[in-house]
Amino acid sequence: MSREIKYPQSFKPNCPKGGVTKVIQRVRILAGLLTLVMLGSSLGAFAAPPAPKEIVIGAALPLTGTFAREGGYFKDGYEMAVKEVNERGGIFVKEYNKRIPVRLILYDDKSDATTSVSLYEKLVTEDKVHALLGGYSTPLIQAHTVVPEKYKVPYVNGGGASTAIYARGYKWIFGLLASIEKLAITLMNWIASQQDAGKLGKPLRIAIAWENTSHGKDFQKGILDKARASPDRFTIVFDEPFEIGSKDFTPLLQKVKAANADAWLVDARIADAILMQRQLTELGLYFQVISYGPRGTEKAIRDALGPAADYIVSVNWWHRDLPYPQARAFVRKYEETYKKPAEWFPALAYETARVLFRAIEKAGSLDKAKIRDALAKMDMRGSIVVGQRVWFGPNGQIDNDYVIMQNLPGRGPVLVYPKYVALGEAVVPIPKR
Amino acid sequence: MTLNLAILFVSAVLVAGVYATMSYGLALIFGVMKVINLSHAGAIMLGAYVAYVLIVGLKMNPFIAAVVVVPPLFFLLGILLERVFVRPVRKAPPIASLLLLFGVWLMMQNIAYIIWTGEVRTITTPYTMMRFNLGAVPINVNRLAVFLVGVFTLLALHQFMTRTYLGKAIRATAQDSAAAKLAGINTDQIDMVAFGLGTALAGMAGALTALIYAFDPNFGGSYMLKSFCIVVLGGVESFLGVALGSLILALAETLSVLWIRAGLQDFVSFVILVLALLVMPGGLPELFQRRFAVRQR
Repeated sequence: MSREIKYPQSFKPNCPKGGVTKVIQRVRILAGLLTLVMLGSSLGAFAAPPAPKEIVIGAALPLTGTFAREGGYFKDGYEMAVKEVNERGGIFVKEYNKRIPVRLILYDDKSDATTSVSLYEKLVTEDKVHALLGGYSTPLIQAHTVVPEKYKVPYVNGGGASTAIYARGYKWIFGLLASIEKLAITLMNWIASQQDAGKLGKPLRIAIAWENTSHGKDFQKGILDKARASPDRFTIVFDEPFEIGSKDFTPLLQKVKAANADAWLVDARIADAILMQRQLTELGLYFQVISYGPRGTEKAIRDALGPAADYIVSVNWWHRDLPYPQARAFVRKYEETYKKPAEWFPALAYETARVLFRAIEKAGSLDKAKIRDALAKMDMRGSIVVGQRVWFGPNGQIDNDYVIMQNLPGRGPVLVYPKYVALGEAVVPIPKR
Repeated sequence: MTLNLAILFVSAVLVAGVYATMSYGLALIFGVMKVINLSHAGAIMLGAYVAYVLIVGLKMNPFIAAVVVVPPLFFLLGILLERVFVRPVRKAPPIASLLLLFGVWLMMQNIAYIIWTGEVRTITTPYTMMRFNLGAVPINVNRLAVFLVGVFTLLALHQFMTRTYLGKAIRATAQDSAAAKLAGINTDQIDMVAFGLGTALAGMAGALTALIYAFDPNFGGSYMLKSFCIVVLGGVESFLGVALGSLILALAETLSVLWIRAGLQDFVSFVILVLALLVMPGGLPELFQRRFAVRQR
């Protein structure tokens, strides 16, 4: 349908024949395009919601109860990472083309698994967090990880190593602690390296004892698997669990003595490791190698045992003497801020939070599925963890190296393995007193 | 084999000393007041921490701290607990005092977490790693000292209960509270003294065991389970029974490791507890009485 437009008379003589219609058509096209552009831009503005004021991240930690000490360290690490990122204006989220500050919600699960599960439910359903950081200790983490999996919320922890956490086929759970099996395997690899150096004989007669928990069972599995794989190197002559908090290890140690072992490899908590090593010394038992798994080089143990702690070997996820500039910077900053020695707990907590921030930045969005995918594809270099790299296997667990330390007289715990971080040579076999 | 058995036997006797020291207080309070004192574990744990402050902080002699200083402090704590928490619910059903004292234990734990954090602590003294050989059997001086204090406490308690007016009044109240009242004994005061004495014994036990074991605010919980086992085995109103119950439990736990895995030691304890409750609910004294009655006939 066309309309006749009346133009002023004066306009007509200057226009060529048919020119008016062409001009009008061009104006119409331009107007139409302009309208489309304006409509498009206004629709676009309607589709992208305004950036949120903050990114909400939640965690429940054992701030009281059995794991209060470790929980306190985790709180320090998380808060330090959040403070750092907020000092830079927050996490850059591409979707909003801006930095958004992080708000951390921390609850106390009282070291209780049921409370921990309830608090993670609360974080997801009431506090509407964008992502979750983990708690501490395998039993609690194993219990509460059902929540992020159920609600499909990205979750990263630095406090649970047991394979039981990662063997359930969960897709939303990621962890920065390598497995306890790997800890045991690292210990056996180190022993093999000492055999190759001619310091220990072959096959080495090994006695193992482990706390009667999933942690202990993972340790046992790692040692036994490695021993089965290298029968020319290792012979297991004693293998028994023990109850946590035992009052007397003499009967157990008498059996170990009868087994005539060369190496004494144990998975124990601090209190049990102290009592066991005291009684072992009292009974005059000698081994060429002694290790209490992840324990044995802590200040509490060295203070309690004095010279009886010398030459004990421990295997750990992290150590303050790691020779990486970023790890050194963390140690300096942490110890200045909190006036406490930088143990592995705050270090792993700090790095766990940083990994989650990196995943959000990589996702460029606060969409939970995108953050989860970014975690699954994570390959973070320049990390403070051993090997300086964070990535996750298909089960969601990292598989980086452990470090081995040994209490050396007059020097305290010294990094002795792997070679690329070693600061000293291990003393093996242990000198007879 | 003989040497191995000798080492295990000595070890069991020393552990029995620790067990007995921990159980006297629980037996005394239950015997007199018929109250199951779940705060006993809390008193053991606080005893360990007070000893830590005295020995590590104030450089006090470990045994003076544990035997001379800690018990009077915990006697006062016990009196306070009895007046504030136990007395108001004395006439209520037993579950009230049970739950209340469980709450007191949790309060004590949390206070310890606030003051000392959850860090594992130890008291290291010049005797900690000291040992001597009895023949070929090594004996730790610290454990032996704790054992001897346990034996001395047993003798002192026996003397106190049989030779003093207060001790006799406590025994009378334990046997029949109403009759004791008719005989002019102030049973309320006796309850208070018994609770104070029981708490003092728990505090002392905590201080002594802290010289051997590492501890944190959860310390005491597993001991209390063993103490229940010992009190049931030894009879709730007999200190000698408690000492004997401790020895039987320690021997069973220690020697069982010769045939079963060490991880099953606690299983052995609780099998004993169940058997004792089924076969002789009155403990060893009841068993002896039964034997005596058969002979009389």
